[in-house]
Amino acid sequence: MTVADAELIRIDGVAKRYRTASGVVDALGDVSLAVPEGQFCTIIGPSGCGKSTLLGMLAGLVGPDGGRVLIEGQPVTGPDPRRVATVFQDPGLFPWRTALENVEFGLELQGADRGRRRAVATELLGPLGLRGFAEKYPRELSGGMKQRVAIGRALAIDTKILLMDEPFGALDEQTRMLMGEWLLDIWRRTNKTVIFVTHSLHEALALSTRVVVMTARPGRIKSVLELPLGYPRAMESPELVTLRAKLWSEIRDESLRAMSES
Amino acid sequence: MTTSAFRLAILSGVLALWEIAARAGNPLLYVPPSAVLPSLVNLVALRSYPDLLEHVLLTAREIAVAYALAVAGGVGVGCALGGHRVLGRAYAPMLAALYAVPAVVWYPSLMLFFGLDAASKIAFGFLLGFFPITLAVLAGTRQVNPHLVTVARSFGASPLAVFAKVLLPGMLFTLVGGLRTGLALAVIGVIVGEVLGAKAGMGTLINHAYGLFRTADYVALVLVTLVLIVTSDVLASLVERRARRWTT
Amino acid sequence: MSEARRIRLLQVASVLAVLAVWEASARAGWVDPLFVAPPSVVARAFGAIGGAALIALGDTLAKTAVAYTLAVGLGVPAGLMIGSVRAVHDVVHPFVVALYGIPKILVLPWIVLLLGFGTAPAVAYGAIHGLFPILVLVIGGVRDVDPALITVARSYGARPWQIYWKVILPASVPSVLASLRLGIVFCLLGVLIVEMFAGVRGMGHVLNALANGFQAAQLFAATALVSAASIGFVLALDALNEKLSHWRG
Repeated sequence: MTVADAELIRIDGVAKRYRTASGVVDALGDVSLAVPEGQFCTIIGPSGCGKSTLLGMLAGLVGPDGGRVLIEGQPVTGPDPRRVATVFQDPGLFPWRTALENVEFGLELQGADRGRRRAVATELLGPLGLRGFAEKYPRELSGGMKQRVAIGRALAIDTKILLMDEPFGALDEQTRMLMGEWLLDIWRRTNKTVIFVTHSLHEALALSTRVVVMTARPGRIKSVLELPLGYPRAMESPELVTLRAKLWSEIRDESLRAMSES
Repeated sequence: MTTSAFRLAILSGVLALWEIAARAGNPLLYVPPSAVLPSLVNLVALRSYPDLLEHVLLTAREIAVAYALAVAGGVGVGCALGGHRVLGRAYAPMLAALYAVPAVVWYPSLMLFFGLDAASKIAFGFLLGFFPITLAVLAGTRQVNPHLVTVARSFGASPLAVFAKVLLPGMLFTLVGGLRTGLALAVIGVIVGEVLGAKAGMGTLINHAYGLFRTADYVALVLVTLVLIVTSDVLASLVERRARRWTT
Repeated sequence: MSEARRIRLLQVASVLAVLAVWEASARAGWVDPLFVAPPSVVARAFGAIGGAALIALGDTLAKTAVAYTLAVGLGVPAGLMIGSVRAVHDVVHPFVVALYGIPKILVLPWIVLLLGFGTAPAVAYGAIHGLFPILVLVIGGVRDVDPALITVARSYGARPWQIYWKVILPASVPSVLASLRLGIVFCLLGVLIVEMFAGVRGMGHVLNALANGFQAAQLFAATALVSAASIGFVLALDALNEKLSHWRG
């Protein structure tokens, strides 16, 4: 296998600017990144650095103004649910569908027959910790449960790539940490490639094989941190404490810049 | 830009169609826009209905009284029901059920009781305006964050201060919306009352023109009434915008 | 005693108290019985108006049913369309709002002039009355669909018709149901107004005739009958709403 083959995702010099009421905003400026298969790649950076825009490009929801995004060597032209599944910060569950029916959504769109949909979704509910909640409606679920349903919905279509846009951002810290552990478990068992956007240093260091730090707007890649460590990670180990300090010093400057600009 | 062009096109299209269709049709039933203009001039110059101003003023006075009563009654009842949990839970559903009755069924009874003069129109305008205002006040008192009341009381606010400094600003948005709807409905109530049976007022004139097949005058009267209605709504919307700026 | 029972008791007691005061003041002669009949007399009046009133009510409801079918059949699809097609919405919405705001009573004489006395103007006016609130509510409901849900559906590769069918339509169900509930009251209102204004049959005509004949007891009984019918419809639609929007909090 050549190096190029192992590259599942290639982002080549993409840029994005938005026209808003108060003028033109450069969200993303010349970002390039390659992600090989099987990675847990976290993107971290200050608010408004274009992390979500970058993820939207991978999801095929946002078109770049310049540069190109390739998945398995093919340019992304729109959402491709056979290769990419996305989890958003807002779980975006359909309130008129039960937990189970929400998990089935993607398969339903792909035309899977009812029996298979049911079977796949039901099987997923166990590891999601939602057994017994299949028939509940979203309003009857806690925030963490809702997000697990949303993740289940993404896992159900069994894509190589899982995009996660601050999936635990709205949860309290304890739930967040447990969800992280749980996600890690899923990732290691399925061997998916995860692109994970977060604000949390802890999440980035506990979960990722690689951390990409972005600059304040217009977002560029500031540095890339490889984390060839095992799991579970002892967050108090000298190694991780040092890494944390290093990561923080990188992000701190950018956050300060973002704060003074906004 | 293109959107407004389309709107303009639709509007002129409708007017043109109306003009063409009306010229071809029975002049007693259809009045082309071009014929409305002279009637409107005659009306405003007080030629076709010399006592127009008296009727306009009567209708405006009926609306003002009906609305004042509706505001007083609606705010009072709304606060009473919103302030007492048990009262609210007992009477709010009953009010809501009455709201589900087409209000015009009460009008014959009001006419019987208050007669054909202004009183029955005022009563009907009041009735129509009262419900939305009451329900808005009720919804408003419920949407004020109870935590804010706790905060104010922890700073030693008296019940009056709680009302003035927390409840009123908190529900102003909803209240003002309800007051505007209430005005629109009080106006409709008065005019419906006049059309269904009265001795004076704009509704009566409209009825008169229609009864004599003076269709062009009828349309002109409708336009004058619309001006009255739109003016009241514009005034209300100005107040609403003020309040909105204050709350946000 | 639980609070729910105390509230029920308070409701019943208040209704009884109002009836008692009403009865007493009529008997004591504080109000003219020619204008305000006491409840006991009204109760007996149900018998007096009985059959004729039910026939009139049936007549009114039949017209309302036709008007309602027209208003819903036209209003709901048009509302869904206007709400979901941006360009159409931008052009048409101001007109819808303006027409919704104009008191329909102003066009009533013209409709009667055009369609004569009888069933046709009642149906037409009832339908117009119901159409605009339905349109406004349905358009609003479609416009308020959470854009996050549409993004999710898009990310799962939903085609435009799938977004419409699987997201916009189900998300609009509550506002469509609310419009059905409001629409029926407005249609009935329109039909009754026409019957009062230029009717020869129907409950509106009956109410007007009773008022003009100073038959207070019969008038109150007839009013109660129409009110009960209307409340009945709304409660039935509420039950339907409850059933179809059970996923809502």
